[in-house]
Amino acid sequence: MPAPHVQIRIPRQDSLASWAGLVTGALVLSVLASASFWTVYSHREEARRGRQAEVRAVARLLGASVESFLASDDVSSVRRLVGEVAREHGLRVCRVSLADGSIIADRNAKTPVKALPGTWPGGADVGDGPHERVDGSAVSIDVPLTAPGKGLLRLRVEADAAVPAFATPMVQAGLGVIGVGAMAGLALACRAIRRRTRAIGAIRGALLDARAGEASAAALAVSAELGPDAEAWNELLAELERLRGERLRERAAEQRAPREADAGAACDAMWLGVVVVDDALRARYANGAAAVFLGARREAMVGADVSGLIESPAVVDALRSALAGKVRHRVAHEVARTTPGGASVMRMSVRPLRREESGGAMLVIEDVTQQRAADQARNAFVAQATHELRTPLTNFRLYLEQLVDAGDGDTAARARCINVLTQESRWLERVVADMLSVAEIEAGALKLRVDDVRLETVFEELEADYGPQAQDKEITLAFALPPKLPVLQGDRDKIVLTLHNLIGNALKYTPKGGTVLVAVDAGAASAGTLVVDVKDSGIGIREEEQGLIFERFYRAKDPRLSSITGSGLGLALAREVARLHGGDITVSSELDKGSTFRLSLPARAKAA
Amino acid sequence: MEIQEHRHGAVTVVRPRGPLVEADAGTLRDCLREVTARCLGRFVLDASEIPFADSAGLEMLAEAGEELASSGQALRVAAPSETLREVFDLTDIAGGFEIFADVQTAVRSFL
Repeated sequence: MPAPHVQIRIPRQDSLASWAGLVTGALVLSVLASASFWTVYSHREEARRGRQAEVRAVARLLGASVESFLASDDVSSVRRLVGEVAREHGLRVCRVSLADGSIIADRNAKTPVKALPGTWPGGADVGDGPHERVDGSAVSIDVPLTAPGKGLLRLRVEADAAVPAFATPMVQAGLGVIGVGAMAGLALACRAIRRRTRAIGAIRGALLDARAGEASAAALAVSAELGPDAEAWNELLAELERLRGERLRERAAEQRAPREADAGAACDAMWLGVVVVDDALRARYANGAAAVFLGARREAMVGADVSGLIESPAVVDALRSALAGKVRHRVAHEVARTTPGGASVMRMSVRPLRREESGGAMLVIEDVTQQRAADQARNAFVAQATHELRTPLTNFRLYLEQLVDAGDGDTAARARCINVLTQESRWLERVVADMLSVAEIEAGALKLRVDDVRLETVFEELEADYGPQAQDKEITLAFALPPKLPVLQGDRDKIVLTLHNLIGNALKYTPKGGTVLVAVDAGAASAGTLVVDVKDSGIGIREEEQGLIFERFYRAKDPRLSSITGSGLGLALAREVARLHGGDITVSSELDKGSTFRLSLPARAKAA
Repeated sequence: MEIQEHRHGAVTVVRPRGPLVEADAGTLRDCLREVTARCLGRFVLDASEIPFADSAGLEMLAEAGEELASSGQALRVAAPSETLREVFDLTDIAGGFEIFADVQTAVRSFL
């Protein structure tokens, strides 16, 4: 099956899945960013509170230390301690001042400081407890102090509580890595998701089209450039198309099978031979009748070259012309074939087959042998009838003219003419009767009128009819009859006709001085069956013609017969009559020695 | 069983004489096959001299009819006796033959 023509299906815009991927990625990033921000903020607040606590603790401890040092008037230690603590803890302001505001110690060395007075001044109240104030990112703590035995003073500490979010290297590094990683991951994920979602989007579109009724694989295919998902989809479509094609072919074959089976059975039942031939003159199909007519086994014919079977160049040429498309109508030839059973005539008709995908031709074979035999018989009959009728009619005319010319005076001539006319009329009558009988046989209308047939009378009449003729030819005609002849049940006229034909032929084909014997089998006669042998010493019949002489209009090919008239119907009629009675006529003969014709008739005719 | 043959034009008429029983069925079958091959199926079985047939004979005739039918031909049976015709009908094998009243009509069917 050819691969489906793939049309590129590329989404015109990013699909929803693509957008969903992007949105998801953005959300994830947002979450990450929010989490990072909160973490940083929380860390920062935590750090600020920690810083405040640190500053508070420093202020308390420093205050305690200052009180202790000032109790012993050690202001230098106080100044030193203030500087160290301020530096160590990053205090922006770290100042110790008296109640009157005089600064006695400050972290900033440039700040003028006063020496401790002998008597500490009184002043504003320094307050009860530490006062803490957070202003933005700065925290300031005022701690009232009391130097034992001296007086009141105040410690003021100020420091920045804010911790830069990104001041911590670890945070910076972590955030940097996370950020870069997240961006890279996002980019890769977007890219991958975009590619996948494009393919999935295209496939989704194809699925929706398929549900809407699109069935063409070409229309549903997606571009293979969209990745392995698209390739897998296209492969699935191709497989589906292949399966669909297979199913269609199976259905077509299922529908075709019964029709082909019917067609095959119909051809097998035909009495005409049918052969289907391909372009190489090989038989693709042959029915049983064709195998019989071509003298081949049916199984061996399929695939065989028919030109060797047909044995007719004209038919083979007709097949080639039909296969080549030169001839599109039926061409028929009659082909003579010689089979062991004799000559056969086959009408072979060739016609090209009208098919789109392949050529081929059909050969139809019809056995027309019997038709041709009937045609020949009819033609021979017409020719023979014409001849047989013309001769006596010619004699009729001649002898009538002589009779008229003879007048009343020439009695002998008149008598001779009348005799000839009588004979010719009888001959004419017999010929016509034979022809009518032939017609009746052809029409299947030859019927027997069954009655008692007294054979003694029959043979007496025959002897009287043929005695003079035998004398004229100096032929010895003898009748060997048993004392008692059976009484047959049959058609007397036709039995007499049969015996007339046999005896008449014997006399006709026996030369002068010969013998003709009509013998009735006494044994058969006593059993109620008539068996008559008509034996002559005539010209005889060739062995190969002994079976043919009973066919209508057949006359032996002996040149000696050319001078002997005959319709060729006598023996055919005689045998037909014998068989209608349930009997038969057989012959045994030797050329130049003579012939014996045996008539067998049952006592009772089989046919009515 | 005596089997005679004669020709009517291009048609061979086969006339067996005697009862068609098991002992003779094979002989007649072989004869019919030989005639079929020789004459391309152009033959008539003249049944006028067959007084009766037993089951083996009927089976042989039915098989001969089937063999001819496979090549689009038919066993043409001419002039069967009334007894034989009844047997054909009773055994329902008459449909496998073409039965004619006489030989002439059977021969004419080849035209």
